[in-house]
Amino acid sequence: MSRLPAGMYLPGASCLHRLDPLVKLVGFVIFIAAVIVTDSVWGYALLAVFIGGLIVLSGIPLNTIFGPVRRTYLFFLTIFFMNGFFFSAADPLWSRWFFCLSWAGMIQGANVVLRLIILIIAGGILTATTSPMEITAALRRLLKPLGYVGIPVDILSLIISVAIQFIPVLFEEVETIRKAQTARGARFDSARLRERAESMFPLVIPVFLAAFRRADELALAMEARGYRCGKKRSEVAKNSLHLWDIGALFIVLGVLMVQIFVF
Amino acid sequence: MMTTVKKAIITAVCAALCVVLPTAFHAVPNAGSIFLPMHIPVLLAGLICGWSYGLICGLIGPLLSTLFTGMPPMAYLPSMLIELAVYGAATGLLMSLVHTREIYTDLYISLIGGMLIGRIVAGLSRALIFAGGSYSMAAWATSYFATALPGIVIQLVLLPSIVFALERARLIPMRYPQ
Repeated sequence: MSRLPAGMYLPGASCLHRLDPLVKLVGFVIFIAAVIVTDSVWGYALLAVFIGGLIVLSGIPLNTIFGPVRRTYLFFLTIFFMNGFFFSAADPLWSRWFFCLSWAGMIQGANVVLRLIILIIAGGILTATTSPMEITAALRRLLKPLGYVGIPVDILSLIISVAIQFIPVLFEEVETIRKAQTARGARFDSARLRERAESMFPLVIPVFLAAFRRADELALAMEARGYRCGKKRSEVAKNSLHLWDIGALFIVLGVLMVQIFVF
Repeated sequence: MMTTVKKAIITAVCAALCVVLPTAFHAVPNAGSIFLPMHIPVLLAGLICGWSYGLICGLIGPLLSTLFTGMPPMAYLPSMLIELAVYGAATGLLMSLVHTREIYTDLYISLIGGMLIGRIVAGLSRALIFAGGSYSMAAWATSYFATALPGIVIQLVLLPSIVFALERARLIPMRYPQ
């Protein structure tokens, strides 16, 4: 289970699985806002408790939840140390050549890494408890008003839902390619602008090729199963909001309000 | 000829790359405005899938990136949405209009045209809407050409290579079949 690909749906009967997909999606967007406004220790502690609660409620194995984070720990360490050593601060703890270690840089690095980790875990919980079809259907419901002004809501919702599911997958792909190219001598952490720019070439082209190969496979699989854009679609289950759905939304809104007005 | 489903999935992957690619560069101060990593997937979506998909990628990519990584910050998001949407749309439009029977010529005309149109529209939007009265020609030239020069060079070298590599790998149809 620990080697399940990131962003994969795990069927289940937990209360998070049974929550309305639209509520989960709107809740996810509200939670992202809460993460963005967080910049204090207590704020992160609240987010950790909230995420912990979601993990318990979802019933998803811990290995599956933390797998994507564990597999990309080198990436997070790089981001943290690059912030720590390259942040321009007025009162550096230590400095030599281009390097400038500062508290402000380390705090900035910790903020970026913590936000990314929390969002990857939250995104993992969303995609593990909601099937791709449910996410697309929820997006279609959310974007339905745009259809009245001629915007192709079907295509738009498909693009957004696939993009959200591809983000953790591509993070892993970038990390794998980065390791492979570092082993071949690429210098991603060079202090010289030119060397760093040159190091983009061996990273970017393989990443695009790998991403497009995945896109090609997914498009082929969808078309082979009869998926066509712009066709009227029927739904197996009609979703309607229940009391617990509204309660869940209020809880996430509460987290956002606490982050804005308390911490 | 690509199907609508394939174009939509490629656009989605490019939008996801708008989140993933810049993350590696955000750690270095100002790297986003120097290397312009988010522009690459948007321009590519426009070049491969057409103007409407380039436009969608230019709108969804930065939005997802702000939501997932906090970059670009909310304050810069509206102007960036306009800039990237115009890059994607203009590049795609030029690619569908320009047919010189030479793929690299088509790519460079569309890319340079799209990049120029995008920078002009972005400058106008800043001068008229987002920084009305306090935006000068010098500030526009500095931020969109001088500071971004490494990113512009990277785009001009990388994007035709990526399109060519994708064609060779048969992941997208050949523009001019042999």
